[in-house]
Amino acid sequence: MKKHGLWTVLAALVGLSMVLAACAAPTPEVVEVTRVVTEKEEVEVEVTKIVEVEKEVEVPVGGELVHIVARCKAAPPHEEGRCNNLVSAVGAANQALADAGDSRRIELEIIQDNADWGDYKTEFELASDAGEAPDIVCSGHEHIGDWAPAGYLVDVTGMIGDYAEFDDVIDALWAATEFQGSRWGVPQDAEARPMFYNKTLLAELDWSDADIESLPDRIMSGQFTWEDMFDTAEEAVNAGVVAEGNGWWHRPKNGGDFLYYYYAAGGEITGDGDALIFDKAAALKVYEKLYAAVDRGILSDTRLDGDWTGWHTGITDGDVLFMFGGSWNWAEWFSNYVVDRGGEDYLWEHFGFAAIPGMANGTGKPTTLTHPLIYMISSASEHPDLALLLISKATVKELNTDYAIASGHLGILKSQAEYGPYTSSKFLSQVLPLLDVTTFLPNSPYWSAWSNGYYEGILAAESGFSAEDALEVAVDYLQNELGDNVIIR
Amino acid sequence: MAEVVMGSGPVKGQAPPSRWAQLKATLGAWGFMSPAAVLVLVFFFLPVIILFVISLTDLSSSNFSEPLTFISLGNYARLFRDKFFPKILGNTFFYVATTLICFNVGMALVLALLTTHINRRAGFFFRLIWLLPRITPSVIYILMWRRISHQPPFGLINQLLAPLGVEPQYWLFEQPWLFVILANGFVGASFGLILFSSAIEAIPKDFITAAKVDGASTWQIIRDITLPQIRWPLLFVTTYQTLSLLTSFEYILLLTEGGPGLYTTEVWALTAYKRALKTYFGHNQWGYGAAWGFVLVIIGIVMSIIYLRVFRFNELVQEPKIDVL
Repeated sequence: MKKHGLWTVLAALVGLSMVLAACAAPTPEVVEVTRVVTEKEEVEVEVTKIVEVEKEVEVPVGGELVHIVARCKAAPPHEEGRCNNLVSAVGAANQALADAGDSRRIELEIIQDNADWGDYKTEFELASDAGEAPDIVCSGHEHIGDWAPAGYLVDVTGMIGDYAEFDDVIDALWAATEFQGSRWGVPQDAEARPMFYNKTLLAELDWSDADIESLPDRIMSGQFTWEDMFDTAEEAVNAGVVAEGNGWWHRPKNGGDFLYYYYAAGGEITGDGDALIFDKAAALKVYEKLYAAVDRGILSDTRLDGDWTGWHTGITDGDVLFMFGGSWNWAEWFSNYVVDRGGEDYLWEHFGFAAIPGMANGTGKPTTLTHPLIYMISSASEHPDLALLLISKATVKELNTDYAIASGHLGILKSQAEYGPYTSSKFLSQVLPLLDVTTFLPNSPYWSAWSNGYYEGILAAESGFSAEDALEVAVDYLQNELGDNVIIR
Repeated sequence: MAEVVMGSGPVKGQAPPSRWAQLKATLGAWGFMSPAAVLVLVFFFLPVIILFVISLTDLSSSNFSEPLTFISLGNYARLFRDKFFPKILGNTFFYVATTLICFNVGMALVLALLTTHINRRAGFFFRLIWLLPRITPSVIYILMWRRISHQPPFGLINQLLAPLGVEPQYWLFEQPWLFVILANGFVGASFGLILFSSAIEAIPKDFITAAKVDGASTWQIIRDITLPQIRWPLLFVTTYQTLSLLTSFEYILLLTEGGPGLYTTEVWALTAYKRALKTYFGHNQWGYGAAWGFVLVIIGIVMSIIYLRVFRFNELVQEPKIDVL
């Protein structure tokens, strides 16, 4: 910042002090000021919506009404099917009980909000230790690594076979539920994390329609690499097609995405033992890429500002050329951000998506990452059989397809491949092939710490540390935090 | 009728009272103090002891269900091995000192002097305005700061400065410390403002009048009468606000999360909070976080002792020269 600019802003801020103080009072002027930026965006990020639903259930004479509680993390409104599908399954579950001559009936209460992952996980852990955990929790598969050894979950390996609905689950997805040879839940959804690109901006760079339309195929065949993406982004910045720092955006805070950078660079995270692996050569390549992205003006050094609001707005307003996101962003954008511009049609007109391009100096192969959410049953549940019955009735193509279409997540059932409503969804059918190159987070109790250490290096590389220094930051953190539970190699 | 004598303690030549008599004399005082003492013990000392005990364990979200494992001073060794420990400590002292000097004591004193030297109603009105940031909910308050300093094309500053030809910037991330200190300072100044104002108002008017009659200037009155008279509230506000700032992190968490980049505005209390309670993937290390927290307690105690000595606390609270018998 220029010096005179600083003094000017200081002077302006002193003058603004009264305005700031007065903002607490509901004056019309203040409302106007705070409305300038994106009220709707903050709502999306910060509002926590809790829905509790109880349905009337007929209980036979002498029968027992069993109260089941389900807890889901879901961004409103598009992801609410996570718990709402369980509500929809109550009737079928109770009918199954009646058919089996079981006098018990299920009464379901759901608690659903959009808490941060860390808070969500902590809440379940504290509730479990207090003996007050919900019967069903729908959470990221990587939490199994913490919760299974802690004794918070029911091992459902031997129970899965009792429910025919689970035979329909795509076989490969069961791997996400496994830890130490057992299954600890049932897949609820799947996803892909693609590279989105702005077709309009590519056209401004003189890309032909054929070039733009063939980009996903060229990425899958390895013709268009990560390095090509950076070159194109730099060209766009230099040509003034996008502002400096808007050539390529990744997510604005820590998250699972960054792991596939490491995979793309040739890194491995799991080995024979329980300890996680940190491959210095692969991490160094990642940090070099990120340092270069900032240095070349493709990526802003403030990109990791944690501001999802600005992230969504910048992309949907057409300010960014390439961005790494998730398939659910598609639903988020057409539900919340471009509704008044034509919704999903607007997205199809201006945006495309493909696998993450291969890193030429890494594996050279395109990639993506899947982060299935899993319905898990708390070991505190007094009725795990009823909880699993309920989950089984929610694991059907009709309910899961409704959720998948609304939320931009992928189906989890084999039958959905031939189910009309699913196959007629243009977005889902085009995202599906990305699963051919997908990767997963590890189910390990050390994943969280590993992720934090690796992310420290990313923060360092993007804030001006050299790639080598960023690597040192990450290694120091990992050794200090994980000790013998990480193998640095 | 009460007899007034100078000095305190046993009169020369008289035998000192027995232990029982001493105890009996203070029994009432102990009785009156005991409820408060119990509260202090339960809510101040006990938490520190619990914090210390937890800091000696490896308690974390991955072993929460298992019996506590004591690892001696392992967490403290980790803490001091942390590559960014010196930076976080430096940030903490910078944040506390700057906010304290510029706002919590400095601005509070200036505002108190100004608002007590103008029309009484106007002074009251301005003090009231300065209280508004404090009574505004933290999240709303910081949301306003974020919107004021947001990245282009947003941000109130950008919109106000655009006509002046100033290049739009992401002010919060260009000058993170400036906004961290301003946001905290605007809230913190009100505390000292109220105490200083009431202390200034309580100075007998005769002192000021006499000084004016003797031809003292306003500055001389402030320097030689007002400031010495408010030494006690100055000590209290400085000490209290130092400790308060040392442990405060919520505005920084909401404003910058300790960033941008690596530990740019990260302070000790925020690190303790993040280690113990807030990571993206929920890796909560309660034992390690408690070690960071306990070191902060030690820093706070040391700072308090230094303040008490610098301000000569003993002289401020010494027994009165006059006893009423």
